[in-house]
Amino acid sequence: MYIDNIVEGFYNVVHDSRVLLFVNYDIDAICSARILQYLFRCDTISYTLVPISGIQELRLAYEENCEEVKYVVLVNCGGTIDIVELLEPNEDVVFFLIDSHRPTDLCNVFSSSQVRIIGKPEAEENIPEFDDVFREDSEDEEDKSDNSGGESDPEENRAAKRMRLSEEAILKRREHRLWTEKRDRFVFNYTQFSYFGKASAVRMFELALNLSKDNVDLLWCAIIGVTEQYLLGKIEKQQYILDTGVLQGHVSKLSHNVDEETAEAVATPVTAPRISFIKDLQLALYRHWTVEASLRHSMYSACKLKLWSLKGERKLHELLVDMGLPLAQSRQKFCAMDMVLRKEFHSMIEKLAEKYNLDQLVFTSFILQHGFRNKFCASDVVYSMLALLESTSRDRSSKDCFLEAMDALSRSKKNLLEDGIEKAKLMLTSIFKMVQGALDMQMVVSGGPFLYFVIQEGALNARHFSHPHTLILLAQFLLQAHVMVKKKSLNLPLIASAPLNVEDGTCLVVGIPPVIEDSPRNFFGKAFEQAAEKTNARAQLDYFDSSIMKLKTEDRSKFFDALAALLS
Amino acid sequence: MEDTFGEDDYFGEDEHIPAHEVLQTLEDAWLNEKFCPDLLPSQDSYVEAMMEQIQQMEDNLTKLKKTDFRVEVHHMELARIRYIITSYLRTRIEKIEQNTAFILEQETTRSPENPHLSEGELNYAREFLALQENHQKQLVLKHVPPPFQDFMSTQQSLVPNLRSHIFLRAKKDVNGVVIEGDRDTRDEEVDLEENSQHIMQYKPIANLIHDGSVQLI
Amino acid sequence: MPLTLTQRCCHLLAPLIPFTVVFIHLSDDDGVRQVFEEMRGLYDQNVAAANDSTADPDGTAISSIAIRHAALERNKRCLMAYVFNRSKKLRNMRWQFGSILPPEIKANLCEPEIQWFNSYSKCLARYMKSIGGQGLNLAQDVKPPKSLYVEVRSLIDYGKFELDNGEVVLLKKHSTHLMSRAQCEPLIIQGVLEQINH
Repeated sequence: MYIDNIVEGFYNVVHDSRVLLFVNYDIDAICSARILQYLFRCDTISYTLVPISGIQELRLAYEENCEEVKYVVLVNCGGTIDIVELLEPNEDVVFFLIDSHRPTDLCNVFSSSQVRIIGKPEAEENIPEFDDVFREDSEDEEDKSDNSGGESDPEENRAAKRMRLSEEAILKRREHRLWTEKRDRFVFNYTQFSYFGKASAVRMFELALNLSKDNVDLLWCAIIGVTEQYLLGKIEKQQYILDTGVLQGHVSKLSHNVDEETAEAVATPVTAPRISFIKDLQLALYRHWTVEASLRHSMYSACKLKLWSLKGERKLHELLVDMGLPLAQSRQKFCAMDMVLRKEFHSMIEKLAEKYNLDQLVFTSFILQHGFRNKFCASDVVYSMLALLESTSRDRSSKDCFLEAMDALSRSKKNLLEDGIEKAKLMLTSIFKMVQGALDMQMVVSGGPFLYFVIQEGALNARHFSHPHTLILLAQFLLQAHVMVKKKSLNLPLIASAPLNVEDGTCLVVGIPPVIEDSPRNFFGKAFEQAAEKTNARAQLDYFDSSIMKLKTEDRSKFFDALAALLS
Repeated sequence: MEDTFGEDDYFGEDEHIPAHEVLQTLEDAWLNEKFCPDLLPSQDSYVEAMMEQIQQMEDNLTKLKKTDFRVEVHHMELARIRYIITSYLRTRIEKIEQNTAFILEQETTRSPENPHLSEGELNYAREFLALQENHQKQLVLKHVPPPFQDFMSTQQSLVPNLRSHIFLRAKKDVNGVVIEGDRDTRDEEVDLEENSQHIMQYKPIANLIHDGSVQLI
Repeated sequence: MPLTLTQRCCHLLAPLIPFTVVFIHLSDDDGVRQVFEEMRGLYDQNVAAANDSTADPDGTAISSIAIRHAALERNKRCLMAYVFNRSKKLRNMRWQFGSILPPEIKANLCEPEIQWFNSYSKCLARYMKSIGGQGLNLAQDVKPPKSLYVEVRSLIDYGKFELDNGEVVLLKKHSTHLMSRAQCEPLIIQGVLEQINH
């Protein structure tokens, strides 16, 4: 069931008890968890927070932690699967779902009280009516008795009555069959595409707002959540503009402290944290990098200018010259460039945007400032946190990385954020190099109704891509770039695969929709499921985002063949 | 902290000291004990009285509803008071353990009305000294040549440094504090004004702490 | 020659010098024994020299006796300091871990030290019980309390932890919890939980 009044239906319910919090490995979830942690701390609602990366892990973690727990909150996980079936909880355990993954599983939607979804169903979800999908099973019993009646040949004597009953039975069976077919159609239409709804961090901020506990830090978390959705291509640009519009309203409200009695603006200290609404450039990390590097490694500019080719390089230099930026300056760190050039950079590049086919370069975003030296823009923070989250190594397990990404949102842990930015630079550089290599050696192959790209085990930097987000960024960059080279592939989706665990022989597979459809609606979830079933491939559709899956490397080729057959 | 205790909270039958005064005395004693190199007189009766008060308050709090926000505030207050008491007693125990023989010896020279150790601390000190003596005997003294098997002689070196410097504030006017000179300087006599703050050696003002004219900070 | 005197003692005491080192090193029984032997040797020399005072024409024997005596005193003092400092570290362990020592620390102690630890534990417990009529656990409330509830992160897979109200919390590595400060304070002091500050 859906809970509209989040304070009454969720917060006041869990107020006096302990809460178990499961958080998915994505930035939006981390931001939402931070807001919740703050609220729980204020009201001393004791909680336990466990990070989880997949469905199996959720089940294990629930089994371990469920003792004496009555309320479980799932952040960005569990919305798209039947929770009750998976976890087999006691009857009095209540689950609260705050999930931006769509489509929400129908068993969760129509659960009477055990599963409560926070929010309202959005219009575009097209949730089927209850009666279209669920029905009582009384027809089955009649079916059975009628079946036996229908199989034996009706005798002439008692036949008349039986004939009449059989007719009714046949009509009922036919109706049931029609209903089932209709139901299957509804379900198929409903679950065909996977996509994302409102950012969970924004919902949590609304909760804070309703409790009058909103502040700048929580608003910043909400902003990061929305920015992540946009940068990873989870929502369309229109949606992003709408969301940021709402957030901008909150920003202006929080930044004007008006003393009602004196009606004067009370000056907040200069060093207090404040958020500003700015027009940012789609140049990743440019404030912390060199201009040249930023232009080269950002998906948008690299693709429009085709920077992987020699011709592209020349265009880049032309652009720099046009801006009046000497090459030496553009190769220096942005903060080390001349003051004059730095100030004019933004306006210069905006002016030249149209000439160089970069008209979408400017987009609206936010900046957080606190103290005199700390200035971070939202996309910088998202890249930094992504890099931290996916920077596992021998000493850092994925859970260590999760906790670090979470701590990076603290204003007192600025060094973590800066560390993350350095890691993000490495991540973006290796993505660009992989794209360049792939295009040079024509490794993006057509598999019929889709394109695919495989990173072999042992390839350079292959281990960077054994994480979902990095692989998705690579896939998006690659598809955009490929489309610039071969216009014909505008309507082909892309599947990318990278080795996940060399010892186990598994690989990661992600699918992204074609460029021509501007919408992020992804049909690969269902496609993967069906292909895996058909080929009996050893696949694990374990991630909460159904367009990502794990697969045994040996089964990959037959899996792709089955997919091709399915989608053509 | 004064708000925690109402006007009616008193202690003991013979001494009608308001509760907040007890707390203030304990706080001052705690600070003095922290900064003083020597062991100061025990405020045992105050500690006991405070603990009774804490127990009573905790009982009262269980009667209030959980959501009443006063409960949290009072719990915090109790936690703070408990911290002061435990920190005070811990500091004393550390001093006792460091200079056991010296402290015990000093105690025997004092009159019974002015004990520096509470009864529990006295027993503890004696037991601890016995423990140390036994331990040393077992591990070292049994095995060294006979003339060196004495335990007590080495304990005489474990004394507090009474010449270490401390910060203090004079609570009332004090005249004629004599600061000993060394070879090069003569003895000096200093007057301390009320509420003035100084830094000096502990030894000259040791007795001033006892009569309450000076507070260590 | 006097230069080698008491050097063994210095080796004994050297590990104790960095005062910030919290754990106890392995009890250096060999080193202690060597110092005993040295002392016995010196003493015997002294006794022999004292008895043989007749064979000392120029009075140098007195000074060597004095030096040996000083070395013996110093050795004794070093040994006692060694034992004293180790027992001080043990004492700190009692305050940090409670009356049961973790096995990895126990492995570094010699038998008398283990006995000392147990006796100290009992002695301390007796004192704490006698405070204020109902007893007071002095190992609690070690830091000034900032709030009633703290956010902690589990540093190891500790397992299930039961709270006073019957609830059970699973302390698995990397999990984060909000708990009553008084209840999880012992675990923070032991190093199982880490307090998170914002």
